Amino acid sequence: MTQVRSTPTLEKTGSIAIIGSGIAGIQTALDIANSGFKVHLVEEKPNVGGVMAQLDKTFPTNDCSACMMGPKLAELANHPDIDIFAYTDVLNLEGEPGRFQLTLKKKARAVDPERCVACNICAEKCPQKVSDPFNLNLNQRKAIYIPYPQAVPLVYTIDKEHCTYFTKGKCRVCEKVCKNKAVVFDQEDEIITLDTGALILAGGFEPFDARLKGEYGYGQWPNVITSLEYERLLSAAGPCQGHIQRLSDGKIPRRIAWIQCVGSRDSHMGNDYCSAVCCMSATKQAMITKEHAGDIDTSIFFIDIRAHGKGFDRFYERSKSENGVRYVRSLISRVIPNPEDDTLSISYAAPDHLLQEETYDMVVLSVGLCPNASTVQLAERLGVPLNEHGFCTSDPLDIVATTKSGIYVCGAAQSPKDIPDAIQQGSSAAAQATALLADARGSRVTAPSVHVERNVSGEEPCIGVYVCHCGINIAGVVDVEAVAEFAGTLPNVKYATNCMFACSTDQLQEIKQSIKDHALNRVVVASCTPRTHEPLFRNTLREAGLNPYLFELANIREQDAWVHKAEPETATRKAKELVRMSVSRARLLEPLYETSYAVVPAALVIGGGLAGLSAALAFAEQGYRATLVERTAELGGNARTLYYTEDGAHPARYLQDLIQEVENQPLITVYRETQVGSITGSCGAFTSTISQKDQSQTISHGVVVVATGGREYTPSEYLYGQHPQVITQKKFEELLNSEPEKVKQLQRISMIQCVGSREPENLYCSRVCCTAAVKNSLKLKTINPNAQISVLYRDIRTFGFKESYYSEARRQGVRFFRYELERKPLVTQQSNALGVSVFDANLQATVQLQADLVVLSAAIRPRPESRELADAVRLPLDEDGFFMEAHPKLRPLDFAAPGYYLCGLAQGPKFANESIAQARGAVSRAVTVLSRKEIVAEGMINRVDAELCRACGECEKACCFDAIHVKHGTSGRQQAIVTEALCTGCGVCNVACPTGAASLAHFKDEQINRMIENHSRLNSEY
Amino acid sequence: MKVSYYPGCSLEGTARDYAESILGICASLDIQLEEIPDWNCCGATAAHSIDHRASIELAGRTLNLATKLPHSDMLVPCPMCFNRLKTAAWALNQDFANRYAIHLQGALPKIWDLANFFATEEMLHSTAKHIKKPLEGLKVVCYYGCMANRPPEITEATDFENPQALDRIIQNLGATAIPWPYKTDCCGASQVLSRQDIVSKLVGKLYDMARRVGAQAIVVSCQMCQANLDMHQKKIGEDWGTRYSLPVYYFSELIGLAHDVCGVEKWLLRHITEPFALLKQLNLWNSP
Repeated sequence: MTQVRSTPTLEKTGSIAIIGSGIAGIQTALDIANSGFKVHLVEEKPNVGGVMAQLDKTFPTNDCSACMMGPKLAELANHPDIDIFAYTDVLNLEGEPGRFQLTLKKKARAVDPERCVACNICAEKCPQKVSDPFNLNLNQRKAIYIPYPQAVPLVYTIDKEHCTYFTKGKCRVCEKVCKNKAVVFDQEDEIITLDTGALILAGGFEPFDARLKGEYGYGQWPNVITSLEYERLLSAAGPCQGHIQRLSDGKIPRRIAWIQCVGSRDSHMGNDYCSAVCCMSATKQAMITKEHAGDIDTSIFFIDIRAHGKGFDRFYERSKSENGVRYVRSLISRVIPNPEDDTLSISYAAPDHLLQEETYDMVVLSVGLCPNASTVQLAERLGVPLNEHGFCTSDPLDIVATTKSGIYVCGAAQSPKDIPDAIQQGSSAAAQATALLADARGSRVTAPSVHVERNVSGEEPCIGVYVCHCGINIAGVVDVEAVAEFAGTLPNVKYATNCMFACSTDQLQEIKQSIKDHALNRVVVASCTPRTHEPLFRNTLREAGLNPYLFELANIREQDAWVHKAEPETATRKAKELVRMSVSRARLLEPLYETSYAVVPAALVIGGGLAGLSAALAFAEQGYRATLVERTAELGGNARTLYYTEDGAHPARYLQDLIQEVENQPLITVYRETQVGSITGSCGAFTSTISQKDQSQTISHGVVVVATGGREYTPSEYLYGQHPQVITQKKFEELLNSEPEKVKQLQRISMIQCVGSREPENLYCSRVCCTAAVKNSLKLKTINPNAQISVLYRDIRTFGFKESYYSEARRQGVRFFRYELERKPLVTQQSNALGVSVFDANLQATVQLQADLVVLSAAIRPRPESRELADAVRLPLDEDGFFMEAHPKLRPLDFAAPGYYLCGLAQGPKFANESIAQARGAVSRAVTVLSRKEIVAEGMINRVDAELCRACGECEKACCFDAIHVKHGTSGRQQAIVTEALCTGCGVCNVACPTGAASLAHFKDEQINRMIENHSRLNSEY
Repeated sequence: MKVSYYPGCSLEGTARDYAESILGICASLDIQLEEIPDWNCCGATAAHSIDHRASIELAGRTLNLATKLPHSDMLVPCPMCFNRLKTAAWALNQDFANRYAIHLQGALPKIWDLANFFATEEMLHSTAKHIKKPLEGLKVVCYYGCMANRPPEITEATDFENPQALDRIIQNLGATAIPWPYKTDCCGASQVLSRQDIVSKLVGKLYDMARRVGAQAIVVSCQMCQANLDMHQKKIGEDWGTRYSLPVYYFSELIGLAHDVCGVEKWLLRHITEPFALLKQLNLWNSP
């Protein structure tokens, strides 16, 4: 264990600084801030979001990247315990783990963040156009800007290198047009020093500079672009509004080629690692392209397809079978332009070894992931070692720990990785950093403000209406004075006014004052979108002593002024209609109250393998009790025979220490030969029965971590079980470890990959087998350098830095033969050896091998017990029988059901260090629940009218959150009852309910109907 | 400015035009070339294909002679010589250097491929100052050939897939260097006597692309490329079923032209593909 424990007498700082705010940094920040610590989130750019904000869609679900990030960004922006230091550089770190002092330089953005309300008027009027780096310079933005509309913090910045005032001393247009006086040209850099207990490096990556590969002509031929540029082309918010166009002439390309491994797996460039994400990213881009326009030909030129993540192989196969994406196995050596029409020719050797030339309208270079220059500099200053490529070195088994205690790393700063891996690692870093500071939990967080709420029941609705100019955004089109005047004539409206910026600090103050002065009990603001502004106004009501649900927002900007710029009169009429609708609804608004109940600060961990043990210990390190339930008599699971890793770690040894530590840890209770019978209750307060032989007992806990593990597939092919010299890779590792003398006698060894993986019935990659084959080959070579090793593979998937071990194996003479699924190798028994026959798809010839030993890289399968548990507890499994996370991209460690988390092989095949990281990450997620005293249930939840309910159970079937059940109710008969803690207020049961008994608070039929009525009535009145 | 100079054998024979143009522009730019006394064969001809040791030791001897001169830079106009000298300098600095009979006897000057030398910021600046006649309207492609940049481990080139030195020099003179993809493709010079058919294919491909991208001429820094591209245009044109008339200029000749150095006519008269017509057409040449 590398856990740092400094002397307890010195007080630790209950805050953590995170450097970098891509998706890894954001996840880390949210986990930490939701676990009772203060977060300082430092970002060198003016706004947070990293590369993920630039992506169009994400694999393997093809969800919209910006839409997925939206809620996370909103939570980040509104979190009371996250201080965002954007446009800020790290100057210095002093002190010791637990008590660092961090010095920052907040760069002057020439805009006062307190005054800027992001009305966009400055950018609209700014005369200076500059190329837009957010869109990879494919189009232009203004010199005063936000990179994208959802930017956080939502504050404009002046690009001083291009602003005419800063370069030539004149202009000042933005200053003149800013109605809120937010532009401050002489703003100065600010030096800030803050206390932080720990530091997390999350600086992400930079795309490889494709210009360095001159042979592909990037920067020379206009239709050669990078994969990140293509992402922006695909994006609806991008430079071409989502239309795929050639940069040379704006025409729709008919044929597009992707070239993989540009700047990856390239020792010439010094990048002899695999960037791990590009195969799937290209697959996704080709699929999306096909969805945009099915007649575009898409070809991906690759070395190996690396679809090693959960669900990736299925995604890859789907791209071929459903979308018709073409894959060509060839590393393209160069791109030749055709000057007449700006098409591009590439040539390659076809399987028949003949030279093939093809012409494309566009070539996309799948550029690799390189370390971020500023993270490299920072790491060097902090003394955090970097590997030869410039990524932060971390412990082989504790991949978030740097060699400097108190400094952690996550995301692509540690190694190239995809979004779910970055998120898992972010949570894991959060767990490690908060474990270090567990004693200081709660010491730096903002105390929730308490406001006495006025009881408005029985009062006649008394509504205040505030119509916002939004600078000229609204007022430039809509006659806001007229709208306000009109609002004043509506029934129950006691006070109506217009204002420059409803959301500015002084105006919010005025709203509060007028609520008091006029004894208002409902508030309507007519301004912009509730997505960004509703939380702000609700909070204002709360501070004014009103229930926050008594607020209604009419969006007269996005839904009116912006879309009807050319028709001011009708826009004004529409604004009146929208206000009238909102006022009619406001009359019917009811105060809602969030219910709460106490959290049991303890965890149940199911499964005593590497993941379960790591999770249990991580809970204890956070100061929480954990019950660890293991089905068998022995702890440790698969890791017991994982003797060594390719990078020099010894999981089996590590495991023994871990077991000992778990057993000695007073906060952990271990139950062997024990099963979980049932889990009842809800997030924060579960009750479970666990049974040991004939005895069963009940335990209470706040969270559940599922770590039931996996197992090695028992092959039925290749003479396994029939011939003693046919063994699995796992057995071979045991042999290498325990009987090296015996292994030394083996001269000819054949390994067969993908045994039980990547087949129609098991359409997933087991992720670890290629590396295991390489690792064991290298081990065998140290025991017997003359051993002849042949690896029969389909794609070598040594992603990330594992690639270097693959290269090393090739250097040492390990032979790799590629076979295809349609022509699997054949293993036969011969007189004194095994015969292995393989049709090598590269040679296009059959190769006959003799082997003293055949090693099968058998798949990782879920444990059969997973299904039993899934049935008993109603947890979802995926198509392959692994547990299914809430979202494969953004919530890889959570179940959809609150309070349940998952990790390790139970979730999918993975390496030992990934299991450990996931386990700790799952604990970090779980601690966001355990660290709360009580669970506050959402106020906008479903309510059932017992009178109308006929207990048909349609709602129960429809609910995705297990939050509504037909039970014996207080009415004395069967009825649907909502578990308030589980209800998310999604409204699905409302739709399913045939009688109208189920209705969503705050969105009652009556409230919506009144709005509709008020809309239709208006048309006749005007 | 004074530098060491290794002309190499072909500049004393077939490539006299190249040699004279270098002397001409260096005089105009006040660069004094001190020829390495008693220099010998670089080993590029026969030695490197039949006797590895000789190929290193021949160049090694010249390198040792160069260490005796006081200059920190050594200019090598012939890319083959440059490649051999760089290879020897590399090999004689390796752990295995003791396998050779020659050992380096002092600090080597920086060994420059001539085009790279003229493409430094400093040289571009001073070249620009001397321009009397900008080469406006002249559109060329720059052809680097194989030896000046590769292998990058030896040549220390960073832009070996898309070299820029000649392009920078040409742009600096006011001409247009059109980007094209065949800057370092093989011209087949080594097969010129034995397999003219291969040469025709390889050079024809270069002509074809040069014309497609809109070039009026080809600019080179290698006398082998120059000869190979200049000599057989008529024949290759016939093989390709077309007619080519693409003058093949040394970059040094074009600097000379822009600087209005005397002797340009003499240099160009040695070309085989007619070099003057294009210049006349662009008003860059007033026939004397």
